[in-house]
Amino acid sequence: MTQPSVTSNVTCLGCGCACDDIDVIVERDRIVDARNACALGRRWFGDGQVPSAIRVDGADVSLEQAVSSAATRLCEATRPFVYVAPALSCEAQREAAGIADILRARLDSVTSSTALLGTLAAQEHGSASATLGELRNRADVVVFWAVDIEGRYPRFASRYAPGPPGVYVPDGRRSRTVLAVDIGRATATVDSDVRVAIEPADELATLIALEAFIRSPDTSGNLAALADAPRNTARELATALLAARYTALVYDAEPDDRSERTSVRFEALVSLAQALNDRTRCAALGLRAGGNRSGADSVFVAQTGYPCAIDFARGYPRYVPYAGTAVDVLRRREADVVLVAGDRTSFPGDIAASLANVYSVVIGPHASTAASGARGVIIDTGIDGIHASGTALRTDDVPLPLRASLNGPRSTAETIRAVASGIRHVLSSARSARPMALGS
Amino acid sequence: MNQLRITGGSVYDPANAVDGDVRDICIEDGRIVASLPDSAPRLDARGMVVMPGGVDMHCHVASSSVNVARRLLPEDHSLHPAAAPVLDHEGEVPRSGADGTVPTTFTTGYRYAGLGYTTVFDAAVAPVMARTAHSQLDDTPIVDGGFFALLGNDDYLLRLVDSGDRERAREYAAWVLASVGAYAIKIVNPAGVELWKRGTKEHTGLDTALGSSRVTPRAILETLVDAANALQLPHAAHIHCNNLGLPGNSATTLATMAALDGRRAHFTHLQFHSYGMTPEGRWRSAAREIVEYVNTHQHVSGDVGQVMFGPAATITADAPVEYLLHKSSGRKWANVDIELETGCGVVPHEYRDRNAVAALQWAIGLELFLLSSDPWRLVLSTDHPNGGSFKSYPELIRLLMDRVYRDEQIARVERKLLAGSALADGIRREYSLREIAIITRAGPARLLGLRNKGHLGVGADADVTIYVPDDNRATMFSTPRYVVKEGVLVVEEGQLRRAPAGHRLHVRPSFDPGVNRDIERYFDQYGTVRFANYPVTGVRDSPLPVGGR
Repeated sequence: MTQPSVTSNVTCLGCGCACDDIDVIVERDRIVDARNACALGRRWFGDGQVPSAIRVDGADVSLEQAVSSAATRLCEATRPFVYVAPALSCEAQREAAGIADILRARLDSVTSSTALLGTLAAQEHGSASATLGELRNRADVVVFWAVDIEGRYPRFASRYAPGPPGVYVPDGRRSRTVLAVDIGRATATVDSDVRVAIEPADELATLIALEAFIRSPDTSGNLAALADAPRNTARELATALLAARYTALVYDAEPDDRSERTSVRFEALVSLAQALNDRTRCAALGLRAGGNRSGADSVFVAQTGYPCAIDFARGYPRYVPYAGTAVDVLRRREADVVLVAGDRTSFPGDIAASLANVYSVVIGPHASTAASGARGVIIDTGIDGIHASGTALRTDDVPLPLRASLNGPRSTAETIRAVASGIRHVLSSARSARPMALGS
Repeated sequence: MNQLRITGGSVYDPANAVDGDVRDICIEDGRIVASLPDSAPRLDARGMVVMPGGVDMHCHVASSSVNVARRLLPEDHSLHPAAAPVLDHEGEVPRSGADGTVPTTFTTGYRYAGLGYTTVFDAAVAPVMARTAHSQLDDTPIVDGGFFALLGNDDYLLRLVDSGDRERAREYAAWVLASVGAYAIKIVNPAGVELWKRGTKEHTGLDTALGSSRVTPRAILETLVDAANALQLPHAAHIHCNNLGLPGNSATTLATMAALDGRRAHFTHLQFHSYGMTPEGRWRSAAREIVEYVNTHQHVSGDVGQVMFGPAATITADAPVEYLLHKSSGRKWANVDIELETGCGVVPHEYRDRNAVAALQWAIGLELFLLSSDPWRLVLSTDHPNGGSFKSYPELIRLLMDRVYRDEQIARVERKLLAGSALADGIRREYSLREIAIITRAGPARLLGLRNKGHLGVGADADVTIYVPDDNRATMFSTPRYVVKEGVLVVEEGQLRRAPAGHRLHVRPSFDPGVNRDIERYFDQYGTVRFANYPVTGVRDSPLPVGGR
């Protein structure tokens, strides 16, 4: 009988909350329990079993052969594309971004198809934000704006706000007022003190009226043109927000399909949060889903200046968020070879479908599981945070260590590094083999 | 063995009292050595100026806050694309990026090295964000780097200040530095950032109480300055005073200096803290009073934080300042309160020579330089990218070395607020090459306690910059002919050729392990990161010695 082994303080990447208090129990090389984890977390850890195939065009090969084929294919591409999927450590994301740079490829992550609107709004207007610890320790009013906390961020309420006690909210939930704002079907799934329902068509008008009330509480007369419903809702919310010491305004940076996605919503939320800081304090935070998505943004910003939708074709990064996202590139069939780094089973649906048409090099957990067709290079790797250590960012960009609790296949970061090295080798031998141009 | 003899250059090595003497510099395996066999490879530096590699002791290049700024400025990046350099070494992968006011990581390393700088410190990192700072430094090639840990508004530290337990506060500071791989203690607007987080918009005086009357900026400063000194950290506590950027703040700055009288302390970007106020409430220069204090108090050091005309990005842990700047300039604003530790604010900015306040800021910085009597204790910085980019250092050097050029520039700026300023009255002083070598390398290295940096004596790191003399000092300092980093020729004939990884500069002071238990209890009670997950493991390179050990 083997004793179960326990790895403590493990960071979970099931959603952007990145709870780092998970005890992972391993018995006979299987994860049998992930204590403290929510349903999403348990799904994330699973039993830790991942395939370990290495294939080129359907044939089993050695790792060296696969890496070499991957490098050759990527170097031969006219328009290579590097797609960073979820479930990578920041270390692996840095390597993947480096490959895009040396190949003069396009580079993108799931951010462009999930959180682009909020990203653009923040680039246009800035932010008034905070890390989750500030929400936990200060927020006496917590507004959940149409976010499915229960389904998408299950431990948010108990770990950050409104549940736990904090330095300035010693009685936890009882020290706070919770406002739930439902926009049509997009309900804020949280236990609240006040619940407000807004018709989807009235959301923007309500936000604008709310900001006007905040900016000058006696301007109600100037809002006469507004319909009664948004004005009354806005007045009610404004009264609560102006009474707060520190408001946390929590929304989903990756809205699910229960509601319309509009960039003006994000702009209005940012603007509202900033305006509240004239009167009191407010931090707005858009939540990101799992798999270290914030990490990819942060890595890309540090290395290229841009969070997603990047094109290196001219030898330097260009930001192409309006027509150069992964969805755009794949729909227009502008990529001839795609390097997918990360877990391809967690793609947005439209990306997964388009990728089937392109020659793909897939390096990540479950690469072989989801492989469609025989073409392409497949290298199964372990999952960062389960089989490999590293770093990941929480939804608020706080970096956390990833701990390995189980032996698994090769690490994604090391495999990508090997491909990068192969690419450099191919490129440099191509350079030295090239005949001298006339006159040079 | 890796050897190089740099021959025939005029050597400016003020730490070793070498002032333009023609002599050879011998390098072996990355260090300066006394001699080399005649067969060693040579680098002909005849007619050239040889200095140690530049040391930037205060800039913002690698942190989560710098990334907030990078993310906020796509329009700036798109105007300043940076293609990858062509490098000579297979193992070093040349990377592209974006330049502009807040360059990307790789580009930052290339640009610093291209200016002959080989050591840089990010001056403001929230300890909880340290992993991000390390990973960005890992991607900033060539230069050796480190960062300072923000402690002046740290909730746990403030509790210790409240309890009056300064020994425990010292142990806690040591624990933080050791846990996150930082180099020094940083204090930003002590108590003021926490007051902002609590919703106060009043200015913070030295004795403003933060809840308890025992917790004041004065008490925080004394506690942390004493901690740095008692721990014998290589660098003093690095202080960004209260009320940055406000007219009349020189009174706060002087009161802070007086409060810490007799203690080793470093006051950063003094230009931003040297504003007087006329009886009519207008801005005026208080550079004379500030620099007079520095000149006459041996324990005090500072860096200037010069403002340079042109675009800038203000990035600071002093979040209330950014709120005010956003309100006054109308430029976009990003704020991030960082859990129980500090703040972060970013606002893009432009210093225009026809803007009276910007012209006054520019003049005050120059006055600080030109009225300073000890270049070892008042060194060069622009608080990159707050006062201007590090890429403007050559232009700043020209302003200091060339009075005629400086007077031409003074004639062009808006002079409305310059009445009574020493600069407007005419200052004749011109910095010598020796003094430039002090304020850009020997001085900062000494203030940082870096024994192997900033000089060319035997045993020093072989970081050497070689310039071709030019009457236009901006030209001379913007394009070194050669730069040697740890014995490797990284810039050759003015071109970047190599980009080896830099080293991490950090300390690991010992602390009483007894503090762990209470800190862990605090993490359990209020933290969102587990105590076990806070320390950064696997920091590149061994820590530097602390306390002479």
